This record gives sequence, C-alpha cells and structure tokens, in this order.
Amino acid sequence: MITTTLPCDAVCEARCLSVAYREALVLKDVDFSVPPGVIMAIVGPNGAGKSTLMKAMLGLIPTTNGSVRFFGRPFQEVRSRIGYIPQHASVDWDFPTTVFDAVLMGTYGSLGWFRRPGKHERQLSWAALEQTGMAHLARRQIGELSGGERQRTFLARALVQDADLYLMDEPLQGVDALSKHAILAVMRGLRQRGKTLVMVHHDPSTVRQLCDWVTLVNKGVVATGPVEDTFSESNVRRAYAHMPTEEWFGKATA
Amino acid sequence: MEPLLELLSDHTVRTVLTGSTIIGFVSGALGAFAYLRRQSMMGDVVSHAALLGIAAAFIVASLTLGSGHHTLALLLGASLAGVLSILFANLVVRHSRITMDGAMAVSLALFFGGGLTLMRIIQTGPFTQRAGLDTYIFGRAAAITRADLQVIAVFAAVALVFLVLNWKVFKLYSFDTVLSELVGYRARLVEPLLQATIVLAVVIGLKVVGLILMIAFVVAPASAARQWTRSLGAMVLLSGTFGALASIAGTLVSVLAGDVPTGPVIVLALTAIVAVSLLFAPHRGLVARALRRRRQRSELVREAHARGA
Repeated sequence: MITTTLPCDAVCEARCLSVAYREALVLKDVDFSVPPGVIMAIVGPNGAGKSTLMKAMLGLIPTTNGSVRFFGRPFQEVRSRIGYIPQHASVDWDFPTTVFDAVLMGTYGSLGWFRRPGKHERQLSWAALEQTGMAHLARRQIGELSGGERQRTFLARALVQDADLYLMDEPLQGVDALSKHAILAVMRGLRQRGKTLVMVHHDPSTVRQLCDWVTLVNKGVVATGPVEDTFSESNVRRAYAHMPTEEWFGKATA
Repeated sequence: MEPLLELLSDHTVRTVLTGSTIIGFVSGALGAFAYLRRQSMMGDVVSHAALLGIAAAFIVASLTLGSGHHTLALLLGASLAGVLSILFANLVVRHSRITMDGAMAVSLALFFGGGLTLMRIIQTGPFTQRAGLDTYIFGRAAAITRADLQVIAVFAAVALVFLVLNWKVFKLYSFDTVLSELVGYRARLVEPLLQATIVLAVVIGLKVVGLILMIAFVVAPASAARQWTRSLGAMVLLSGTFGALASIAGTLVSVLAGDVPTGPVIVLALTAIVAVSLLFAPHRGLVARALRRRRQRSELVREAHARGA
C-alpha cells in the first residue's frame, strides 16, 4: 500500500477499518486520513466497497474491526460538524413534503428533540436553496423533481447544517448538466471556505479536475494521498484490475 | 331529519358518537404514519394480536376483579399484546433470513391463534358476562359505555400528546431514517415510540371497527388524504378527519338499523372516500391526470398544425 505522510490534524481518519457482510469481508484494513480543506474522492470499480466504506465511517452499518475518528473524536461527539448526502434513491420521494420543507429538515438535528424550526432556521434554508439554485422550486413537491434537482435538494439540506466535513455518496451520478454545474460550484465554494469534502465518485476521468486528494479502493485501500502523485496510472490500474483504464489517461499522463 | 335530531339528544347515542369520533380521528391520523412508512400491514398484526391481550386480560380481570368487563384492563392487555407482536416480528427478522412480511405473518398467526384459543377457554370456562367480548372482533360502536368512553379518551389523548411532542422527530424518521439516525435521533428510541403510538390508536379502534377490519382504518383514510395534501401536517389532519367521518357514518347506521356491526359499514364509507379521492383529487386524481394528458396532446396537435400551415 502506498501512503504519503499523514498530516497530524486530520479531519477524518480511518484506522484498520474492516467490514464484513454476512461472512464475507467486504473491506479489509482500510487506513486513510483526510487533511482539512480538500475535496477527496473515493474511487474504485463497482462492488469495490465505496458506499459501504462511507456508511461504515458514519456507523450506519456495523464494522468488524478498526476505528474512524472525525476531528480526532468519535462520530457521536462531533455529529453536528458532519453533513451527509446520501444517494438519492434512499428516501421515499412520494412523501408529502415540499422542497423547502425537506431542506428545513436539515436543521432538525441542531434543534434537539422538542424545539421546532423558527425564523432563523427558515432563513438558513432559503440561503441553502439560493446557493444550490433551487429557490425557484421551493414550493414544489419533492416527488415532482428530476434526479439532479433531488440531488441538489439533498445538498441544500446538508448545507443548512453548516458542517465542517461533508460526506457525499455519488453526488454527480445521474444528474443533468445544469445540476452538475450547480453542485460542482457549491462544492468548490465549500472548499474555498475551508470545508472538507469526501465523495464517493464513479467517474475516474474527472478526478484530476475536481479533487485534490484521492483514495483508491478495491476491497481495501489501494492507494491514498494527494491526487498528483497518488492518482497515477499504475495505482489506478491496480484498483481497476482487469479493466481497460487507458482512456482515462489519454491526456492526463505522458 | 327529525329522527336524527331526536337520536342526537339521546344520552347513550351521544356517548357512542363521541367515542367513535375520537377513535376515528386518532386511528386515521396515526394510520398516516404507518401508511407512509409502508408498514400498514403492521396495523393488521397489531389488531389481530390484540385479541390475545384482550382475552388474557379478561381472564385475569375475571379472576382478580370479579368481572372481566374492565375496559382499562382489556385495552392495556390489547396494547401489551400489540407491542409484543411487533417486537416478535422484529426479533424474527433480526435473527433469521425471514423478511419483514414473512415475520409479520408468523407473528399475526401466532398471537391471533393464541387469542382464539383463549376465547375458546373463556367460552367453555366458568366465566360470566362473556357476551360482550366479540364486539372487539367485528366492532360494535353501540356497545360503547360511559366507562369505555373515559378509557378511550385517555388512550386517545396519550396518543395525540405523543404525536404532537415528537412531531418533528417522527416526521424526520418517517421521511429519512438515515438522516434521523445521523443527527442523533436514534432508531432504537424513535421506532418503539412511534410504534407504541400507533398501537394505542389501533387498540382503541377495535371497539368500533373490530380487529378483522381494523387494517382498513389504518390504510384507507391515509391513502385518501395523501391524494389531496402536500404536507405531512395536512395529510395527518385530513386522514384523521376522514377517519372520524367514516366512524360517525358507521355508528349512525349501526344505531339506526338496530345494533348491526359497525365495522363493515365504516369500511364501506371509507371505500367511498378513497374512491372519490383517487378519482377526483385536484392534482393526483385520475380525472385530473387524464385531463392534463388530453390538454398536452391537443396542444401538441395545435403546434403541429401551426407548423404545417
């Protein structure tokens, strides 16, 4: 495994993380560390365990071994500093709610069990809708949205949390060009404000233009570190064993 | 009109109507959550399992209190059995490869079978006043007494207070279990709270609808209300209102026609409400959708003509 020197103040750090589904190990001994202020892609072939890794980090599925720390602490202590954007197939889109209301739900965590959202939370929601270019659809039922608009709704819902670390599961999959543009703009804006983003990414050809940190995954970590030296043809080939990878490097590598 | 007014001035009839209105509203409102979480069948499991609790409570109350007709004891027994049936189904899912639908069927059969066995024991045993027990099977609103009404009101109030206090958490959990878990509203806590609230609503409904048809009370008002509304709050209110209206209709027919079971009449009323909602709701209704399609088509034709000319 190739690992560059780890910065000591990592935003997110996985150590020896292993996940088993039934009896089979899906992920083995995952180690990586994400420095603050970067966009990190988790890249690997289908079935490599990318989404599983993200869910395991958040404690959504049980881990067999290892630990994950955020800002040097366990998830439970810093949950309000972490935003998660799931794959958009994960909720019931026929639920009776408007886009605005769905985004407002992003504030529920900060309010505690009994308090209801008020003026402040509404303002946050409107601001998040503006940022994602969804304000004109605020009154729309969520069931009437396109795939890209759904993804932007999830993004806005995470934005109202004002987290320091955002974990995104395939934020660009199946979205239209306009939504992709809007989502990328928000992601770059977040990085500019010093936020850290980790995303599961299905398209290796866009890693270089989008990300500054990468973790190549295939049942375990193949390589992790800054994109310039980690996202090399040989590492990617090792992650995508038996798959044609040449086209992704047509221009990128000499 | 006159016999109706005369009827309403009757003290017993007022008690019966108040009871069935409360029951209809609460069951309809809470049914919306079961419906949205695609767990409507859980209502069927709970209502059937309740028979075991009712029969067991009847026996215990007969032996300790002298009379089995103790509404509070019966409904507590029903609630306990309902909760246990859900826990049992969850247990089966967790420790086997049986999925939820199979586990619910197993749970329903086990608890309902146990209930039928106990009912048989009650029939053949030395219990007096066992006559009223079958009202819980088919529902007989006319059998609601003043004492019943008090217990029903308390159960309904507890269910509504739970609903209002936990509104935000129930809503988030129903829409997105994962986000709810991540921001700290643990499923381990929210799930049993929500289920218990639904159990309370199902259990009080038995007296009016009966355990066999209770599932209709969980599903029908909610599915009709979903057609007309765009927010969870509106849907829950409307679902409760539909439930109350059907319950009132069933009770009036039952009282006027002379002590017929209320359950079937209520289900007929609910079916009418669902049919109208599916057909005529302004946005999601079949008629509205057909009209939209036709308008689109004629617009396309007009455009094509304009291009041609």
